Amino acid sequence: MASGVGEQAHGSVASQFYSNEEETAFDMTTSEKVVELLNQAALISTEEKLIVLKQVQELIINKDPSLLDNFLDEIIAFQTDKSIEVRKFVIGFIEEACKRDNELLLRLIANLNMLMRDESVNVVKKAILTLTQLYKVALQVSLSVSDMQEACWDMMTQIKEDVLALLDSDNDGVRTHAIKFTESLIITLSPRTPDSDTPKKQEGDISLDKIPKDHTYIRYDTLCEEGKSALEQLLKFMVHPAISSINLTTALGSLATLARQRPMFMSEVVQAYETLHANLPPTLAKSQVSSVRKNLKLHLVSVLKHPSSVDFQGQISTLLLDLGMSQSEITRCTPATVQPRKRLHHDNALFVLADAPLAEDDEDKEEPAPVVTPKPSSSVGTQSAIDLTAEFLLPLLTPDNVANLVLISMVYLPEVMPASFQATYTPVESAGTDAQIKHLARLMATQMTGAGLGPGLELCKARDEEVKEEDGGAGESSSKDPLIIRKLSAVSLGQAISVVGAPAAYKSPITEEAPQIKKLPEPILPTSQPKAPGASGRKKVFKLADVVQPFSEAQIEKLSNMAIKRILLSEKVIAQSGMSHVRVKLLARLVTQFEGGKKNDLLQFILEDMRGRSELAFSLLYHEYNEYLSQQPSGSLDSYEHCLYTLLSGLQEKPEQRDGLFTKLVLEAPVITDSALEVIQRYCEDESRVYLGMSTLKELILKRPSRQYQYLNVLLNLSSHEKEKVRSTALSFIKRMYEKEHLKDCIEKFALTYMQFLVHPNPPSLLFGAGEDTEVASPWTEETVRQCLYLYLSLLPLNHRLVHELAAVYTEAIADIKRSVLRVIEQPIRGMGMSSPDLLLLVENCPKGAETLVTRCLHILTDKVPPSPELVERVRDLYHKRVPDVRFLIPVINGLEKNEVIQALPKLIKLNPIVVKEVFNRLLGTQHSEGSSSMSPLTPGELLIALHNIDSSKCDMKSIIKATNLCFGEKNVYTSEVLAVVMQQLMEQTPLPILLMRTVIQSLTMYPRLAGFVMNILARLILKQVWKYPKVWEGFVKCCQRTKPQSYNVLLQLPPPQLARSYILCAAVLSLTKEKC
Amino acid sequence: MIINSDARACSWTDARSRSAAAARGCSRSLGKRGFDVRSFGTGTHVKLPGPAPDKPNIYDFKTTYEQMYNDLVRKDKELYTQNGILHMLDRNKRIKTRPERFQSCKEQFDLVITCEERVYDQVLEDLNSREQESLQPVHVINVDIQDNHEEATLGAFLICELCQCIQHTDDMENEMDELLQEFEEKSQRPFLHTVCFY
Repeated sequence: MASGVGEQAHGSVASQFYSNEEETAFDMTTSEKVVELLNQAALISTEEKLIVLKQVQELIINKDPSLLDNFLDEIIAFQTDKSIEVRKFVIGFIEEACKRDNELLLRLIANLNMLMRDESVNVVKKAILTLTQLYKVALQVSLSVSDMQEACWDMMTQIKEDVLALLDSDNDGVRTHAIKFTESLIITLSPRTPDSDTPKKQEGDISLDKIPKDHTYIRYDTLCEEGKSALEQLLKFMVHPAISSINLTTALGSLATLARQRPMFMSEVVQAYETLHANLPPTLAKSQVSSVRKNLKLHLVSVLKHPSSVDFQGQISTLLLDLGMSQSEITRCTPATVQPRKRLHHDNALFVLADAPLAEDDEDKEEPAPVVTPKPSSSVGTQSAIDLTAEFLLPLLTPDNVANLVLISMVYLPEVMPASFQATYTPVESAGTDAQIKHLARLMATQMTGAGLGPGLELCKARDEEVKEEDGGAGESSSKDPLIIRKLSAVSLGQAISVVGAPAAYKSPITEEAPQIKKLPEPILPTSQPKAPGASGRKKVFKLADVVQPFSEAQIEKLSNMAIKRILLSEKVIAQSGMSHVRVKLLARLVTQFEGGKKNDLLQFILEDMRGRSELAFSLLYHEYNEYLSQQPSGSLDSYEHCLYTLLSGLQEKPEQRDGLFTKLVLEAPVITDSALEVIQRYCEDESRVYLGMSTLKELILKRPSRQYQYLNVLLNLSSHEKEKVRSTALSFIKRMYEKEHLKDCIEKFALTYMQFLVHPNPPSLLFGAGEDTEVASPWTEETVRQCLYLYLSLLPLNHRLVHELAAVYTEAIADIKRSVLRVIEQPIRGMGMSSPDLLLLVENCPKGAETLVTRCLHILTDKVPPSPELVERVRDLYHKRVPDVRFLIPVINGLEKNEVIQALPKLIKLNPIVVKEVFNRLLGTQHSEGSSSMSPLTPGELLIALHNIDSSKCDMKSIIKATNLCFGEKNVYTSEVLAVVMQQLMEQTPLPILLMRTVIQSLTMYPRLAGFVMNILARLILKQVWKYPKVWEGFVKCCQRTKPQSYNVLLQLPPPQLARSYILCAAVLSLTKEKC
Repeated sequence: MIINSDARACSWTDARSRSAAAARGCSRSLGKRGFDVRSFGTGTHVKLPGPAPDKPNIYDFKTTYEQMYNDLVRKDKELYTQNGILHMLDRNKRIKTRPERFQSCKEQFDLVITCEERVYDQVLEDLNSREQESLQPVHVINVDIQDNHEEATLGAFLICELCQCIQHTDDMENEMDELLQEFEEKSQRPFLHTVCFY
C-alpha cells in the first residue's frame, strides 16, 4: 500500500528530476517517508498524529520543498480533523507553506477562510494569527503575480473585514488576536518612513509605500483608506467603556508599536493615551487598574524613546509623571533631540493630507520629505480638538475659576472613593506652575472633547466640513484663519458660560445655585480636578449605577403593579390590533412570576368578564401549572391551586353563568386540586346548579381516570345529602354510572358501607356533615336511617343480589331501625318484582331475625298483584320446613291450594283482628281493585263453610264467630244467593256445624227475603232430627220464633215432644229477649 | 495555555529564596499534574542565602548547580544542610545543569507567573523589548508573595490552585479575567495581569 502511493507520488515528481538519477533516488526516499508518515497519521491518536504531521511538515517544507505541492492536499485534508490541535496544526502548516511558496496562498486562502469560521475559538485565534502574517503575503503575491489573482485578493480583503469585525467578538481572546491583526494591518497599509522603527525581521515586509499606483486591481488609495479606517476602529475600540483589561493592555501595546513603526500616527497615539489615562474604564478592578497603568507607563516610555516623539515630549512626560515616574527617569528615557529628525515628523503628519506626492517617488526615501513643506494650517489639522480646547481653556484657568470649579465639583463627588481613583492618585507635584496649568487645561480638554463639548471640537467639525467642501479646490490657508478665529470666539463665550463660568459676573449665581444643582441630573461634567482623572465621567463611561438609586421594595412593587395594570387595561386597543394573544401570553407570564397582589388583580379582572376573558384565564392557569412543573420535584401547587380556586369560586358566585365555562374550566384544568374539588362540590350542593355541577363531576369521573375514585367519592357523598333535589340528582347520576363496570365495585362498596352503619348502635358522625360536632350518643332517627339507605335502595333494583346484604344488616339492627327499614324498602322491592331470583332466594333462606323483613317484602310484592307460583312455593317451603309462622302465608294466601288455606284458617283467624281482616280481604278479593277474587283458592261460600267446619279443638269458637262476622260484613260478596248456597250445604252436612243456625239467623237478618228459603231449611232440619244437636236446636227455636208466623208451619212438623220443648225453650228465649229489650 | 499547537507551557520567574522555594514547590506539583513547567531567574545573578542576610552567596548564570553545591559544601556544609539549600541544589542539579535566565530564553510560553512585582516588571520589560514576530500572546501574572516561610507556603498553594483552575478552563484567555478576580477576592491580594506578544 505504502509503496503504491509512493510510486504514484514518484510518478508526478519524476518529471522534475528526470535527468538526475541520484536526486530522484534521494527524492524517492523522502517522498516515501512522507507517504508512510501520512498513512500512519490517519490511524493514530491525536498526540502521535501531531508529532507525525510535524515531521511531515519538516520534510516537505524545509527539507524538500519540491514535495510541498504534491502533499499539500493530503495535509490540508486534516483541516476537518476532530481534534482542535490537529486543525491548528493545519493552520500553522498553511502559514509555513505560504511563507515558503507565496503562490500557494492562492490555493489555500479558501481553506483559511473556512478555518476562520471554526467552532473552536482556539482554532479561530490561530487562524487570526496566521492571517496576520499572510495578509502581507497576499498583498505581495497580488503585486507580483498580477493576473487572475484578483479573486484571491478579494477574498483576503473580505477575510480582513471579518477579522476586524471580530473586535466585537464575545470572546476576550479572539478580540485580543483581532487587535494584534489590526495593528499589523495598519502597519502594512501605511507607508514606511525613514524614521520608522522597523524590527529587523520585518525589514522585507511589504507596506503601503511599496504599492505601485498603477496596479490593475490593488488600489493604493483604497488600501490607504482601509489602513486609516482600521486605525479609527482600533482607537474607537479602545475608548469603549466596557473594554476588558487584557484588551486594553493589548491595544496600548499595539498603539505603542504603531507609534514606533509609523511615527506619523504619533499624535493619535499620544492623544489616545491621554484620553485613556484620564478616563480609565470604570469596569476595571483595582488591581487591573494597576496592571493597565503599569502597561501604559511601559508603552509611554517606549514611545518616548522614539526620536519622533519630540513634539509630544511634554504631554508624554506629564503623563509619566502622573503615572508615578520621577522626572529624572523621564529625562533618561528622552532621546537627545536630533534636529533634522524633527522635520520628519511633519512629513508624517502630512501623510493624511498629502499622500499623492509621497507616493509619486517612493524611491526618494533618503531625502527627508522635500516634497511638501510644513504649513501651519496642517498642524491645525492634526492639532486635534483637544489641543484647541486646551488652548482655549488655558487662559480661563485662573485661581478663582479653579476654586469655583472645585467647589461645584464637590457636590458631585461620589460617596466612596472609586477604586480607579484610589489607585491612580498621585499628589500634584507642581501645582500652580505653568506646566501644571497646561496639563490641567489639557486634561479638561480631553474630558470635554470626550463629552462632545468645547470649541476645539466645533472647530474640527467645521474644518472637516470645509475640507470636504474644498476638496481638491486647494483652499487658501489664509482664508481659513479668520474663520477659525471667529468661530473660536463665538463658541468660547457660550462654552465659558456653561462650563467654567466667567470670573466676575457668574461667580455669585453659581455658588448660590450649587445646592439646587445637586438635584439636577447632569452626569456629563468635565472634571475640574487634575488629581481625579479616573473618577470623572465622560459621556461614554457614564455609569448608570452612579446616578440612580435602587428602588425600594414598595416602589418596585408599585411600579410593576402599574405596568401590569396598564397591560390589563389595554385590552380593547390590543384586540383591535389583533395581538390579543401576545397580550394574554405576556400577562400570564408576567403574573406567574410574581406573588400576591398582581395575581389577585388579574384574577379579579378576569372574573369581571369571565366569558370574554376566558382565554386569559386558561393561559394564566397553564402558566401557573407550568411554573409548578418547572420547579419539580420541590415545587408547590399552591399558586396554581389559588388561581384555579379563585376562578371556580368566582364563577360560582356569579349569578346566571349559563354557558359551560365552569365545565370547560374544570375539564381543561391540568390538575383538579382538593380545593377546586370543594368548589365543584359546592356547585353540586347548590340547588340551582346541581345539574351543571354534577354533570361536570360526571365528566371528571369519566375523563380523568387517574383520580376518578376521588371524584366519584364526592358524588357518592352527595347521594345522602339532606337536600332532596341534590340527593335525587346525585342518585340518578350514580345509577347511570353504576352501569360502568369499573365503577360498579366502588359504588357498591360505598353503598354497602353506608348501610353497614345501621349495625352501629348510634349513627356515625359522618352522616351529619363534616363540620358538625356530633354527640356520640345521638340516637338513630328515621332521617339518619334513610341517609344510610338512599344509595343502597336506588341500586337495589339494578342489582338484586344486594338484597342479601340488607337482610344481614337487618337482623343485627335495633328495632327502631328495623321499622324504618321496613318503611323505606317498599319502592325498591316492588321495583325488583316477585320474579327476582334473589328475592326468591331471600325468601327461601330467610335469615333468622329477618322474618319481618321477608314478610314485609312478601306483602309489598303481593300488595297489588297476585303471587307467582314460584313465590308461593318458596313461602310454602319456608312455612313448612323452617319457620311455621302462619303470617308468612298471608301474602301468598291466594296462591295456596284450597285445602292448605282451610288448614291454615284456624291459625289465621286467631291473629290480630286487623291481620285477620286483611287475610279475608285477600281471600275474598275485596282488596284488589281488579276484583280478582276468582284467583282466590276459596270461593266466599267455601270460605264460610270452611269456617263452620273448623274443629273447635283447634280454635276457639269466639275467633270463628268473629271470622264469620267478617264475612257477613262483606255484603257485596256474601249476597243472599251465596248465603243460601252456604246454608244449603251446611245443612246437608252431618253432623250439623255448631254455628249453622247462627249463620241462618244472621243471613235472615241481613236478607229478610230469604225467609222462605230459611223455612225450607228449617223444615229440612227437622228431618235431620235437629233436636239432637243442642246448640243447633237452640238456634232452630230462636229462628222459628223470629220468623213466626211463617215458622208455624215448620213447627207443626215437629214431632210433639220436640214441639213442647221448643215452647219451653222459646219461653226462655222470649223472657230473655224481653229482658234485653 | 498552549503554544505553537502542542506544548503546555508555563514559566516561573523568581529570584528570591523563599518565594523561589514556593515557586519550585509549585512547579514540582504542577509538573506532576501534566504541566510543562520551567523556572527561571530574572536578575543578573543567582543569589543564595548566605551565613547572614547581608551576605548572600552570589553566582552568575553560567555556574552549574553542581558547582554551587560543591562550593557551599566547602563553605559550611552543616549550615547549608540545615537550611535546606544543599537539598534544593541537589534536586535541581538532577533536573537541569544550571539555573536559567528568563531573558535569555527564546522559547515561547503561554503563561508566566511571577512572585514579586519587581520581577514582573523585569519580565514585562524584557518581553516588550523583544521584536514581535509570531504575535503569539503570553499572559503574565504576578502574585505577590512576602519573603517569609508562611507566606511562601500559602503562596505556593495559591499559585498551584490558580494554575489548576487555569488548566481546567476551556478557553483560558476568555476566562482568565474572571478567574483572577475570583482569586483576588478569595486571597485578598492584588494580582497583576497583562498580556504580551512574541
